[in-house]
Amino acid sequence: MTDTQAPAAVDVATSDAIAVSGARKVYTVFPQTKRVAVEDVSITVPVGAIHGLLGPNGAGKTTTLKMLLGLVRPNAGTFRVLGLDSRSRAGRAELGFLPEQPYFPPQLSAAQAMRLYARLAGLPEREIKPRTAQLLELVGLAGQQRTLLSAFSRGMLQRLGIAQAIVGRPKVVVLDEPASGLDPLGQRDVRNLMLMLRDDGATVLLSSHQLSEVEAVCDRVSIMSRGRVAAEGPIHELLGVAAATSVTVSGLSGDVPPALTALAGEATVVEGGLLLFSVPDVSVRRVVDAVDDAGGTIVAVAPKRESLEDYFTRMLSNDSGEVA
Amino acid sequence: MMRRLSAIAGAVFLDAIKRKVVYAVGFFAVVLAFSAPSLPSYGVGVDIGVYREVALALTFAAGMVLALALASNRIPSEVERRTVYNVVAKPVSRWEYVVGTWTGITAVMGAVIAAFTVIDQLVGLVRYHDAMWQLWQGALAIWMEIGVLTAFAVAVSAVSGAVVVAVATLTFAFVGHSRQPFLQQVPGFPDWLYPSLDSFNVINPVAHGGGYGALYALIMAGVFAGWVVALLVLGSLGFARRDL
Repeated sequence: MTDTQAPAAVDVATSDAIAVSGARKVYTVFPQTKRVAVEDVSITVPVGAIHGLLGPNGAGKTTTLKMLLGLVRPNAGTFRVLGLDSRSRAGRAELGFLPEQPYFPPQLSAAQAMRLYARLAGLPEREIKPRTAQLLELVGLAGQQRTLLSAFSRGMLQRLGIAQAIVGRPKVVVLDEPASGLDPLGQRDVRNLMLMLRDDGATVLLSSHQLSEVEAVCDRVSIMSRGRVAAEGPIHELLGVAAATSVTVSGLSGDVPPALTALAGEATVVEGGLLLFSVPDVSVRRVVDAVDDAGGTIVAVAPKRESLEDYFTRMLSNDSGEVA
Repeated sequence: MMRRLSAIAGAVFLDAIKRKVVYAVGFFAVVLAFSAPSLPSYGVGVDIGVYREVALALTFAAGMVLALALASNRIPSEVERRTVYNVVAKPVSRWEYVVGTWTGITAVMGAVIAAFTVIDQLVGLVRYHDAMWQLWQGALAIWMEIGVLTAFAVAVSAVSGAVVVAVATLTFAFVGHSRQPFLQQVPGFPDWLYPSLDSFNVINPVAHGGGYGALYALIMAGVFAGWVVALLVLGSLGFARRDL
């Protein structure tokens, strides 16, 4: 997927594409119950970066995005995009948004829907047709211009959602679960699209709970839990286990020599009968030699990392639960 | 601003005009229009007037049903299905979304009422050999009143669900035509304070007289504009404060 037209030049005087500071949202549920959805969230994304927003369901990711986009009124906080109030019309003119599981007026055709969103995004009239054709091809919907959206599958609606999000060539693109409903090829296309947008100078804020999607494209991530930013940084640092390495071995089929066990500890049997050892970094060389001596084959040596699920579980169990 | 309004109104029009409910209501309205001349209560010499009256009443009833079907659920379903996100996350004001929605539905109602009037005219021409051009005056009044009711429905739907909208709009229509009985029962109530839709009731001059004049049409247009602006301002204020 390639885009032939780059977005307009970014305001070089503004170093942060997105700056959320002190965001707070409290929902009042009838009659008086209050539920804190977001508590003091601050996120900064530099221009030209792909930033991931990770977290389990109910962590406050979508509410934070909605406040940024002016869909939800915050109780506190400032929201800026390229130096502008992101909730103002001028701010939203810089933003493109893909909501989670997007839906569209079912009686419109794909071309009619794209025309609507292009006009709302301020695209000049003469550019609408070629831009629509270009974007529908980009997202894999070429030839579907006249198809009614009521006949679109879940994945096709998702692809159209991505097209409408970038129709106005926004400098900042906010994607909420963009791979939802897509097959593996579609997910790969979305990843490539995000990288292409970055190459064209755009900034991407990606909300997801799919680690593979986030780690493939994101420069940094913010991990949210119970309405707060629990951690922020490069994903390999956040999920890495200090000074430990995973060594994956084949050819031993459970017959692990005692010397290897003494050196690397008990192995975990993983998919395909492979053995997975978790060893200190300083012992990696000796473990590899021991595997070789035992007649096994090294399949992979990689820095040990927590799964996102493990990370969330640990984070939630450590959380004091101050936020409802 | 006009470009965004027309974009939203155009999309609402295209989406609404293709809905089955439009054609279902239209079909039954046509059946009723063709049945109207055979009603047994027609007397010699008054049958044309009665036919016009029945045609206008049918047009109003069908229009009311259709306006409720299209307007009461438009914004609530867009919020529930999140289609509204794709619109209001763009550089679009909330009031533009509300006004654009009203404009699109009112345009559909204009097309539908015009179609009904053409059919009423055709039936009149075939049955009574009279083109009944004054039915268009009635159609204009009906369209304006339906426009006001649509504005009310859109305003309420900006902050409420479809069932509440439908009940509230029916109540508004009923109250709007109960001015005289109310004022008779409550002497001393300032009549200018009563929310009246009586200006749009032109059945007598259209069905049994020579129609209404240009001045009355202007007054009617003023009442229409006043109601619509007031209701859409209220609806826009409510929608602007709403979390989506």
